[in-house]
Amino acid sequence: MFQVIKKIIQYPRVTQDYPAKPFDTSLTSGKPVIHSEKCTACGECVTRCPSGAIVENVDTNTLEINDNACIFCVLCSEVCPHGAIEITGEFELAQMTYEELGTQLKKKIEKRFGRSLQIREVDSGSCNGCDYEINALNNPFNDIERFGIHFVASPRHADMLLVTGTATRNMELALLKTYEAAPNPKLVAAVGACACSGGIFQDSYAAKNGIDTVLPVDVYIPGCPPRPQAILYGILKAIDRL
Amino acid sequence: MRFMMNKQESNSMNNKQNELFARFPELSMSEIHGNTLYLESNASSYHTICKDLNGQLAFPLVSMFASDDRERTGSFTIHTVFANRQSGILISVALPVDPSTSAFPSLCELIPAAALYEREIHDLFGLRPMGHPNPKRLVFHGNWPKNQYPLRKEFPVNQRPDFADEKIEFTRIDGEGVYEIPVGPVHAGIIEPGHFRFSLAGEPILNLEAQLYFVHKGIEKLIEGKTIEQGFYFSERISGDETFTNSLAYCQAIEKIAGLQVPVRASFTRVLFAELERITSHLGDLAGICQDVAYGFASYQFKMLRGWCYRIADELCGMRFLRSVNTPGGIRKDFIQGKEETLTKLLAELKKELTETEAIVMHNSLFVDRIENTGILKHKIAVDLNATGPGGRASGVDFDVRKAFPYEAYASLTFEVPVQSDGDVSSRMKVKLAECFQSISLMQQVLEQIPQGIVREEIGILEPYRSAYSLTESPRGENIHYIMTGENNTILRYKVRTPSFCSWPALCHAVSGNIVPDFPLINKSFNLSYAGNDL
Repeated sequence: MFQVIKKIIQYPRVTQDYPAKPFDTSLTSGKPVIHSEKCTACGECVTRCPSGAIVENVDTNTLEINDNACIFCVLCSEVCPHGAIEITGEFELAQMTYEELGTQLKKKIEKRFGRSLQIREVDSGSCNGCDYEINALNNPFNDIERFGIHFVASPRHADMLLVTGTATRNMELALLKTYEAAPNPKLVAAVGACACSGGIFQDSYAAKNGIDTVLPVDVYIPGCPPRPQAILYGILKAIDRL
Repeated sequence: MRFMMNKQESNSMNNKQNELFARFPELSMSEIHGNTLYLESNASSYHTICKDLNGQLAFPLVSMFASDDRERTGSFTIHTVFANRQSGILISVALPVDPSTSAFPSLCELIPAAALYEREIHDLFGLRPMGHPNPKRLVFHGNWPKNQYPLRKEFPVNQRPDFADEKIEFTRIDGEGVYEIPVGPVHAGIIEPGHFRFSLAGEPILNLEAQLYFVHKGIEKLIEGKTIEQGFYFSERISGDETFTNSLAYCQAIEKIAGLQVPVRASFTRVLFAELERITSHLGDLAGICQDVAYGFASYQFKMLRGWCYRIADELCGMRFLRSVNTPGGIRKDFIQGKEETLTKLLAELKKELTETEAIVMHNSLFVDRIENTGILKHKIAVDLNATGPGGRASGVDFDVRKAFPYEAYASLTFEVPVQSDGDVSSRMKVKLAECFQSISLMQQVLEQIPQGIVREEIGILEPYRSAYSLTESPRGENIHYIMTGENNTILRYKVRTPSFCSWPALCHAVSGNIVPDFPLINKSFNLSYAGNDL
C-alpha cells in the first residue's frame, strides 16, 4: 500500500505534461501541402499515391490533395521531382493546445447537453489504429473525462457515434442498427481516412467507400490514424452543428 | 546476412533435403530459395507428404492458402506450408487443383489446424475441401451470394454483389438447462467487432464459437495488380498496432525476391522499431488485464508507460504507429542519428518505472488470486492449433521466430525467450512483462552496437513470377507473409497469415469451463487482432 501511495504522489498529474512539453516535431508527419509555385502538375504524385488522394483540378490545371482520402504516408513529398510537396507538422487543424481545445469543448457541452457528452464508438472495418487512438483519449495523458466526455457501453445512452473503418459488407447492418438505436438528436463523426472516404481500402468488393454511404455524417476527421488531439477537435466541430 | 545461409545452416539444409529425398524418391524438388524448400506434389502423394511432414517429422502446419494460376499453368494451386523450427526451414508443398473439379483432399483428419485454412480457401476461391468435417462459411456471412469467389482472377475487385439472405447456424449444444448468450459484433468497450456465441449450463461456459470477419476488407484482392511500392502501404494497414512487424514482413519478402541485403544500419534500426512496437503493444495488454479486474491504479500505471512509449515513437519518427518508417530495401531516413542520448535516457526511465510497477502489481494477492487458474490454454491444444507468441509461450510452446528464423540484426543481439507452463492469465501476464524487459534490453543493445552507414538500398525492377515467404515475430506471435510478383513490378498474390488467425480457436478453447464475466479478462490476456485475422 505504501508503494501505491508513493507512486500516486510521484506522478500527481501526468495529464498536464503532454501539451506543456513540446516534442521534436520536425519529423512529425502531418498534412501534406502542395506549393503551387513549384508544382508543374507533372502527375508523378497522382500516379504513385497509394490511396488516390491527389487529384487534378481540370479547371485550373493544378493538383489538390483530398484530406479525407490522404493516409499521411509522406510518399508524395519523396517522389515529387520538383520538391513542391511539403509535409507540415500540422496534424489536422490543431492550432490550439489540447487544454484550450478541451476547455472550449467543456463549455459547449455544458451549454448544449447539460453536463456531459456520451459517446459510443463503432468500428466498422478499420485496421484498429483509429480505435487505439480513441482508446488513448482515456489514458492519463489525455484524460478526456475531465472535459465531460464519457464513452458508454450502449448506443442507447449515446449522444454521438464515433465511427472508424470503411463500412465493410459484414458490418453494414450492425452499423445501421447501432445508429438507429441511438436516441435523437445524435451526431456522427467519421474518424480516419477509411471512415471518411474508404482511404486505402476504397473500391473493394468487401466494403463501401466510407461510412457516409450508409449514415448521415456530421463531421469528418481525416488522418491515418488521426491523433487524439485531432479527434477531440473533430468532436468540438461536431457539437457546433447542433 | 539474413538469407545468405552460413555453413551450419546450409549443412542442416542439405541434411533435411537428403532426408526428404530418401523418404519421397518420386518428388521433384523444384526450388530451394533461402530458407524455403518448395515441393511439388499431386493428388495421390499430397496426403502422404503432409502426413509424413506433420505426423512423423512433427513439423507444424503454419500456413495454407490457394492461388489462381490458371492463366500460367491451367490450374489452381494449394500451398501447404510446414515449418521445421529446429533448423529454421519452411517447407512449402504445392498441390495443383483441376479447375473442372475444383476439389482437393482435406487435411483435417491429420491436422486439426487445417480446418480454418480450408474453409477460408473455399470461401475465397471456391475450391472444395473433400472430407472436411464442418465446411461452413468462414470469411463471408449470410449476406454473400453463393458461387461468387472474389480471389479468382476473373472477379473484378470493385464488384459488390447484391445482398443475399442466408442464415448461418452456430454450433448448438443440446441438453437440459443449456442456454446461449450472443455478444457483439458491437461490444461495450472501444474494441473491434466480432460476434461471440456462448453456450452455458449454469455459470460455466460449455462452448464458445467466435464469428469473426466483420472487418474483412479484401486486402489480399486489393493488393493484386498494385505496384510493389503501393502494396507496401496495404501491409502497413493490416493491423494498426502491428504496423511495423507487418511492413517488415512485406519488405523482407520483397528483398528476398530481389536478392538484396539491407544495409547493416537499417537492420539494427528495424530491430529497435520492432521492439518498440512489441513493448507498446504488451503494455496496452497489461493495462487492459488490470482494467478488466477493476485494478485501476495498475491499469493507469501501465497506460502511462504506454504513453511513454508513444513519446519515444514521436521522438524517433513522428508517427505514433510507426508508419512510413520501413521501405523495401531499408528504412526511409536515418531515424536514430543524433537521438541516441535522449533515447537511452527515456529507456532507462521506462525500465525503472516498469520494474517498480511490476513489484507492486505482482505482489497484490487479491489481483494474483483473480488471474491465476483463469482461462487455461492446455499445452496440447496450443501445439495442435499452432498458438504462438506470448499466448503459446505461456502454455509451454518454447518457440520464437527471432530465435528459430533469425532475421535482421537479431542474430547478433542477446536476449531470452520467457516461457511459462501453466497457460493461465497469470502466465501470459508474466510472459508479457518479461518480454517488455527483453525489449528494453534489445533496444539498449541496438543503441550501443549500431554501426554508421547508409540505411537504404534501391530495389529496382523485380522479375515476374518469383515468390518468397518471410517470417517475423509480431507482438502476438509468428507472422508469415507470402508474395508472388507479377508482370511490370506488380504483385500477383499476397497472403498474410498473422498469429491471430491461429490463436482465435485457441482462445475459444481457453475459455471453456470459465464464467462469462472472466471472458473479457481472458480475451485481453491474449489480445488478438480482429483486423489482422479478417484482413
